[in-house]
Amino acid sequence: MTAMNRPAEIPKAMTLVKTENLVKNYVLGGETVRAVDGVSLSIDHGEYVAIMGASGSGKSTFMNMIGCLDIPTSGDVRIDGIATSERDGDALAELRNQKIGFVFQQFNLLARTTALDNVAVPLIYAGLNGEQRKAKAKAKLEDMGLGDRLDHSPAKLSGGQQQRVAIARALVTEPVILLADEPTGALDSKTSEDIMQIFQSLNEQGITIIVVTHESEIADHAKRRIEFRDGKVIEDTTVKKRRKVSR
Amino acid sequence: MIGNLGQKAAGWLVNIAIAMTALRTNLMRSILTTLGVMIGVFAVTLAVAVGSGAQISVMQSINALGSNMALIFPQPDSEGSRRGFDRGRLTMRDARAIEKQINGITDIAPQLRSSIQLVVAGRNASTSAIGITPGYGKVSNLVAESGRFISEADVRSAARVVVLGPTVARKLFGDFDPVGETLRINRAPFKVVGITESKGSSFGNDNDDIALIPISTMRQRFSGDALAGPDDLQVLFVGFQDGVSLPQAKREMTRLLRERYRVRGKDINPFTIRTTEEFMKESAQVTGIFQIVLVAIASISLLVGGIGIMNIMLVSVTERTREIGLRMALGARRSDIRNQFLVEAAVLCVIGGAMGLILAIAGGTALTVYADFPVPIGVGVGIGAILFSAFIGLLFGGYPAVRASRLSPIEALRSE
Repeated sequence: MTAMNRPAEIPKAMTLVKTENLVKNYVLGGETVRAVDGVSLSIDHGEYVAIMGASGSGKSTFMNMIGCLDIPTSGDVRIDGIATSERDGDALAELRNQKIGFVFQQFNLLARTTALDNVAVPLIYAGLNGEQRKAKAKAKLEDMGLGDRLDHSPAKLSGGQQQRVAIARALVTEPVILLADEPTGALDSKTSEDIMQIFQSLNEQGITIIVVTHESEIADHAKRRIEFRDGKVIEDTTVKKRRKVSR
Repeated sequence: MIGNLGQKAAGWLVNIAIAMTALRTNLMRSILTTLGVMIGVFAVTLAVAVGSGAQISVMQSINALGSNMALIFPQPDSEGSRRGFDRGRLTMRDARAIEKQINGITDIAPQLRSSIQLVVAGRNASTSAIGITPGYGKVSNLVAESGRFISEADVRSAARVVVLGPTVARKLFGDFDPVGETLRINRAPFKVVGITESKGSSFGNDNDDIALIPISTMRQRFSGDALAGPDDLQVLFVGFQDGVSLPQAKREMTRLLRERYRVRGKDINPFTIRTTEEFMKESAQVTGIFQIVLVAIASISLLVGGIGIMNIMLVSVTERTREIGLRMALGARRSDIRNQFLVEAAVLCVIGGAMGLILAIAGGTALTVYADFPVPIGVGVGIGAILFSAFIGLLFGGYPAVRASRLSPIEALRSE
């Protein structure tokens, strides 16, 4: 179950995320809005996918359902072979904790809490003791080049540093998928490139990455592009050659 | 199993750490919220303590009377006065009959009482005089601290001697030991033969503001026509040995007196018998009710404090909706979120409770020192107060905590 033996698991289920006729309805002002309209697709282990579309296209709703944050109206999401519709709230919480790492546009770090403690939060819910939490969180922050910022609160970190803390937090439970919703939306272009570089190297290490974005330049880093419009997938292309990250 | 328990305990420790951080973040608000619980716990703890203090104080007063005794008055009992007995009788002969025929009596103390004026070289004091026999000292556990007590010979000769209570002695003689001095009671010269030990005060009455003279002297000089006959008594104390059943002794004395006064059938007794045991029971009842009322009133402030906790926890949940969503995204179960807020409420309450307890101990000590009123706050009351405040936290924090845990992760995350 650790990072070490994950590659051995990959052949068991090549498909990591599979959705079948996924539908999500919202009722707004008495009117039913179909945000996601019967999406069926699968994403394999090790893929790097960009989900694109205008705002209101359903891309974020789709990702929230993959991340088990939102419950589908109908259809099913399977994560690593687990049918999420058959799981209760606690099982979904465990799934989010163990298999999925989230990166948000606004970083969502706890204010007045050190970088180290922020990164350690998911490990609390994984049931690790204080020492283990500290050791793992410290290691992940060092991986992100923040070894000298462990005791800094978010207010004392730059946007890029904050997003790197958030990435460390997403990775600290060694998840198989990293879900990023507009991860560079609040960052300048230079910092955005840094973050994309981190994503690329994580992907090279075998982590499946799904990025929701409306920026083409960000999507260019991905190996596969899925375009949403009106709750449906209108384009699903795999590029052979990935855009080079400028070093 | 043990590992699981350890993990659970560690989980709670984490929750406490999260709660402390959250409370520190809103320090001023936390302090103000705590204040409500503090005042509530202070009020309730002090109410409980004052109630038990009243109980102790009443018991002490009754014990000051003499621990195991019956008091007999010639007044008809409460039923009797309604049925037309305006006046009962109790005589020295009745007293002797009781002493002779009832088992387990240590001594009897027949008494006459009157208000008197004492005068000594330019000073005077009025007090209540009790005409007694030496038995009074034994029944009431009263001895002379200096000099001597009223003796059998004093009673036989109707001697003009007086034993003063410390308060009267101080009023008339200051710090000077008055034993052997002469003073005038209602113009007649009396010799001071002794000073009683101090009995403190009970029910606000100074037990030391008395003068004791022989019952025969009292009868000759001060009682006059207040009495129906030359042998009549106003009060009779009957002391019993330890272990004697007072209710049974009371029944026996009642039967004896009814025979002596030929009370027939259902006629009502022309005398009243009360025992210290009855006094204790009655005052325990009264102080019990007193305590319940006090605690009930104090509980209102604790209720208000609890509502304050609920209010602030609801605000806290609303303010931190996004944090709740984030924690859920990172793997928090609903129970984790609920426990986090429950612990936060409980921590607030326990801190408030501890401060309230400290305040109550301070207030109780002040009452004891300055008002001479016992306010016992024992370990039990202390632990009870802390546990009770934790309970208040869980009770009033419960609704906000459950509300937080029912949030949908994505809606919570999206909230601003």
